Amino acid sequence: MALNRRTFLGASAAATGALSAPYVLAEGSGKPRVLVIGGGAGGATAARYIAKDSDGAIDVTLVEPSRTYFSCFFSNLYLGGFRTIDDIGHTYGTLAANHGINVVHDWAVGVDGAAKTVTLAGGAVLPFDKLILAPGIDFVEGSVTGWDVSAQNKMPHAYKAGSQSELLKAQIAAMPEGGIYAMVAPPNPYRCPPGPYERVSMVAHVLKASNPAAKIIIADPKPKFSKMALFEEGWANHYPGMIDWIGEDFGGGVVSVDPDRMVLIIDGEETKVDACNVIPAMKAGRIAELAGVTDGNWAPVSATDMSSKADPDIYVLGDASQQGDMPKSGFSANSQAKVCANAVRGALTGSRVYPAKYANTCWSLIAENDGVKVGASYEPTEEKISRVDGFISQTGETISIRKSTFEESESWYDAITADMFG
Amino acid sequence: MSRQGFAIIAVAVALPISMALAEDAPEVPPEILAIEGDVAWGEYLSGECVTCHSARNAGGGIPRIAGRDTEDIVVALHAYKQNRRVHPIMQMLAGRLSAEEIAALAAYFNTLD
Repeated sequence: MALNRRTFLGASAAATGALSAPYVLAEGSGKPRVLVIGGGAGGATAARYIAKDSDGAIDVTLVEPSRTYFSCFFSNLYLGGFRTIDDIGHTYGTLAANHGINVVHDWAVGVDGAAKTVTLAGGAVLPFDKLILAPGIDFVEGSVTGWDVSAQNKMPHAYKAGSQSELLKAQIAAMPEGGIYAMVAPPNPYRCPPGPYERVSMVAHVLKASNPAAKIIIADPKPKFSKMALFEEGWANHYPGMIDWIGEDFGGGVVSVDPDRMVLIIDGEETKVDACNVIPAMKAGRIAELAGVTDGNWAPVSATDMSSKADPDIYVLGDASQQGDMPKSGFSANSQAKVCANAVRGALTGSRVYPAKYANTCWSLIAENDGVKVGASYEPTEEKISRVDGFISQTGETISIRKSTFEESESWYDAITADMFG
Repeated sequence: MSRQGFAIIAVAVALPISMALAEDAPEVPPEILAIEGDVAWGEYLSGECVTCHSARNAGGGIPRIAGRDTEDIVVALHAYKQNRRVHPIMQMLAGRLSAEEIAALAAYFNTLD
C-alpha cells in the first residue's frame, strides 16, 4: 500500500496506542460504529464504501436477513430466460473477508434513536453512532382488494426477487395453451418504474415461443407509465395482439382479485386467469417506520447527504427514502449510498466531504437484444434532490443501437454488483 | 489565444474506431490539459463511473477505464462535454463535470491497475 497522509496518520496513532480519532462520538468504544440495515443496492454499497474508504477507522456492521441477495434488477431477465436464478444471486462473503464488515444475518426489529441502538429478532442489541437504513420496500396492505401476502403463492408479486421470481416463472410455464397471464400494476411511486412493463415484455417473449396463443392483460391504476412509447412500440413489433394494457381511463384502477378462484375483476368484470402477478402499492420497509423516520409511506431525507429529516444520525437510502426526483431503482440507491458514505465518514473521522451528485439510469429489455434506457442526473437543492438533465431512448432506433443498449445493461449489471459486493 | 492555438487531440487514440470516426475531436486548451488532478477527489467522483465501468470486467458493452492514460481520459471526457462524442449517458454526466473534476477523475483512474 502506498503511504499517504491517511495511512501515515493511522499508523502513527496506532503506534502511540491512540487509534480512536478525535471525532469518535461513542463513549468507551475504540472506533465509531456504523450500522447498516439492509444489504441491497443502497445498504451493501454504503457498507462497502465506508469500510473500504475508512481503512479500518470505522466499525461497520451490516444486518441483512438473507444470506443470498437476489437482485430485483435483472430478475425480469430471469423470467425471460436470459439469466438463471443463480446469475442474479449474490452473497456477502467478500464484504466480510475483504472489507472487514461484520455481516449479521438477522432481522432488525426495533430502533431506539435516543439510546442509539438497534434490536435484532435474535435478541441482540447493537449500538451505533450512525445508522443507515436501506430496507427497500414493503407492500401497502389492502391496496389490491382480495390480495394480501398470504395469497402470494397463488398470485405472486415477484417484486422482491428470489423464490417469488421462481414461483412466477413456474406459473408462466404451467399456463395452458392459449391461457391468460394477468398483471396488476402498482400505483406511483414504486420500485423500478419500468419494471412491470419490462416484466410483461419478458413474459411475452417466453409465451411467444412456448404458448403463442396466450394473452396478457395489464390492469394499471396509472394513466401512463415509464418508457410507455418505447414499450408500446416494442410490444406491437414483437408481440402483436398479445398484450392488452388497461389503464386508469378504462377501469385499470378499479381492480380486485380472488386468488382462490384465480379471478381478476376489472371495473366489475370478472376474468378467469391462469397466472396472476399482483404488484401492490408500496411503502418503505417496515424498519423505517419502526425507527420513527417515516412520514406517510416513505422516509423524508436531506438532499445533501440522505440523512433523515427526523433524526440526523439516521440515514435512509434507496427505495425507502423520499428524496425528490430520483426514481426508486438500484442505480439510484447505489448513487445515494456513495454520497451518504462520504458524509458519514466525514462526520465520524473528519475526512473530506465532497458535494453531493446523483445519477440514475434504468435499462429495460423488450425482446432479445432490444434494450432501451432512461436516465437523469440530479443535484441537491434546499427542498429535494432535483433533476438536472436527462435522456431517453427513442422510438424507431436501429437494431444496432438497441443491441448496444442491451450490452451496456449487461456490463452495468456486472459493474454495479461488483460495486455492491466486490 | 486563437482558436487554432488550441490543442486538437485525436479522440481516436483512446476509443474504438467505430465510435470515433464520425465524431470531431474536442478542443482542449493546453492549460486544461495541464491541470494536475486531485486523486482523492477523483476517487470520490469515480463513484459515479464505477456503477457502470467495472474495474474488474474486460469491457463488453461498457469499456474498462481503470489504468487508462490520463490524457486519453481527459480528452474523451471533454469530447463528451462538448457534445463532439455521442453517448447520452456520458454526455449527460461529463456535461456537468468541471475541468478540475475531469482532471481529478483522469488522475484517479490512471492510478488503478
